[in-house]
Amino acid sequence: MMNWKRIRRATMLCTTAAVALAGLVGSAHAEDKKFKIYLSLSYSGNAWQSEAANIVKALAATPPYDKQVELIEVISGTDPQAQISAYESMIEAGADGIVTFPISSTALNRVIKRGCEQGVKFFTYDATVTEPCAYNVSYITAGFGENSAQALVNELGGKGKIFLSRGVPGNSVDKRHTDGAMHIFKQYPGIEIAAEYYSYWDDRTTQQETAKALAAHPDVDGIWAQAGEYGAIQALQDAGTKLVPMTGENSNGFRLALANPDMQAKGLKGVSAGSPPAQSGYAFKLLMEILTGKRELEATNIEYPLPWVPAASVKLCEGETFENGCNAFPDGKVPSSFVTEVFNPELLPELSLLSALEGKPTPGATIQPLPAEIVKAPNEPGINCQNCEPPADLYKLTKIQPTVSP
Amino acid sequence: MSVSEPKGAAFQASADLRRGGGISRETTNAIIVFGLSILLILGSRFVSPALGSWSQVLTVLMLASFLIVLSFGQGLVILVGGLDLSIPAVITLGGVLATGWAGGGGDWYVLPAILAICGLVGAFNGFGVTVLKIPPFIMTMATSIILASAALGYTSGTPRGASPAAMTALMKTTWVGIPVVVYFVLLFVLAGWLLQSRTVFGRKLYAIGANDQAARVAGVAIGPVTTQAYVVSAICAGFVGMMLVGYANGATLRMGDNYLLPSIAAVVIGGSSILGGRGSFIGTVGGAVLLTTLGTVIAAIGLEQGWRTVIEGGIIVAALFFMREEFFARLRRPKRS
Repeated sequence: MMNWKRIRRATMLCTTAAVALAGLVGSAHAEDKKFKIYLSLSYSGNAWQSEAANIVKALAATPPYDKQVELIEVISGTDPQAQISAYESMIEAGADGIVTFPISSTALNRVIKRGCEQGVKFFTYDATVTEPCAYNVSYITAGFGENSAQALVNELGGKGKIFLSRGVPGNSVDKRHTDGAMHIFKQYPGIEIAAEYYSYWDDRTTQQETAKALAAHPDVDGIWAQAGEYGAIQALQDAGTKLVPMTGENSNGFRLALANPDMQAKGLKGVSAGSPPAQSGYAFKLLMEILTGKRELEATNIEYPLPWVPAASVKLCEGETFENGCNAFPDGKVPSSFVTEVFNPELLPELSLLSALEGKPTPGATIQPLPAEIVKAPNEPGINCQNCEPPADLYKLTKIQPTVSP
Repeated sequence: MSVSEPKGAAFQASADLRRGGGISRETTNAIIVFGLSILLILGSRFVSPALGSWSQVLTVLMLASFLIVLSFGQGLVILVGGLDLSIPAVITLGGVLATGWAGGGGDWYVLPAILAICGLVGAFNGFGVTVLKIPPFIMTMATSIILASAALGYTSGTPRGASPAAMTALMKTTWVGIPVVVYFVLLFVLAGWLLQSRTVFGRKLYAIGANDQAARVAGVAIGPVTTQAYVVSAICAGFVGMMLVGYANGATLRMGDNYLLPSIAAVVIGGSSILGGRGSFIGTVGGAVLLTTLGTVIAAIGLEQGWRTVIEGGIIVAALFFMREEFFARLRRPKRS
């Protein structure tokens, strides 16, 4: 116990020192009235996390924000304790706002509440917290699980053996997606879940876990996947038999595969939906509009729209961003693991590939105002609120209708 | 010879191996782990009728290939009484450089050059351990942290590029119905076994791990030989990074994270002493195949994730139980008398 306390104190001291040092360096060339904003990541290393961080950095360097914001990035790792220490240090260092990917929906509540009391604005993106004084900006309530499950059921005609390729065990996002999907699958007695495995939202792990499942069930009819879906396609190709209908998230490789006539001929059908890195940019711009007095908004849960791209809607981009309704990039321009939904022509017109890949502002771009309206997210206990009631139609379908009856 | 003197037992076992007569502890160990793997594959028919097939064997060998190459390097480091925790970071280094410098094409010397860079990382580990006398655990962990941060800075988080053509050919093509990587692994195992058990270099590693003072007296250059073990380990890890890139057609920054503990587990399950001085590569290969087979069979059982991990851990404990010193002493006793 003693030891643990000492370690915790040491970690806090170190983080405080690091943050203070970063602040010192920053303030040396800061102008008089810059907002001090922290970008707090839990971890970095997959394409999704780095794209989400890069676009916040790019926006903060786009005029006029480049003169208004001092942005400091802190990566604290996958341990909630470390992110708590990081938040503590940011509050002590006088943060105006914290844009963050929270590692836990509940463990950070106490420190967030303390920060709110000192006037710090907390904006979470993608993952959420249940502390009511924080602004949650997330697609998570938009129904990825149930909509994609219904799309798969439709493609399969209501019966067949399927795999579930899930995310990280014990994570609230994985649970929400899977609960939504199971709500649909359970209505169809003809759907048999042959294998269910955790792929940690990673291409390579998905590929290996799918290969193992295929060894036992080579006759699989469809795959419902969370992020990492491109690995599932590769596992099917490695096994060399056929492709099957599948749903997954937003990797460029998956979108290109869905639109590829050769792969369609081998049996690939499906829809690309799921978590957009663009949420971080939307959260950051909302925070800035509040800080600069352009928007009045009390802390609330804000829903980001669910991207939804069936095979027939995949359209290649000729330029450096989403324009003219395009939603994927040609092979070779970005890695196959690149998460395409980093752009949003309406909310984030300032961004280009340069922003997403390197965190640099698009030359010539200036910050455009956001639409005045926001979409409020429904309550989901344990995800964006505590001791609250979910709406009766929590798993209602919004993107697709059943074409087969149970 | 008493069972309470593990070092003595190690010497006896090594002596057996050198004479080439009798069944050594290493050989028995290897036979047991391979036997268990085969039993698991045959028995898995009861789990799912599609299992126990030739295509499952190929899947297992393909998935095990990464672990076999990795645990050869880790095995050499463990043999000299060290431990290499920098393996995940070096895997990432190999993968990120391969996609960045040779993605899709590249000159013939690029991949060997990347392996040489990985070798330098190993030399750095060896330098820290043998010259600066930093404990291997700390030294390789520090290297790992430095490398991971360098890779994050170099890529801004998103490694670019695709798999080099040579690695795609290795991981994605078949020859006479068998994936090319399976032939590669067979050659690698043969070469690794020769290096570890049939060369002077290999014998020196055993000598250092069993008793470095005695090895020094016998004229073994402890520092350089130990460093070479770390170099081989880093080159193996860098090559696995390239193999993974060929397998999944792209690199990510955390691609090596899942391999650290399995690389150590394969070595220990294969009968090597975690303290060094004892073990064989064939046993380690068996350990890697056993771990991968276990993963495949468990994945086919329709159990909750929690229970699957419990069963996986339980089988590993059981395997190690049968490989205890006492168990072997009993097996060997009739032969000795």
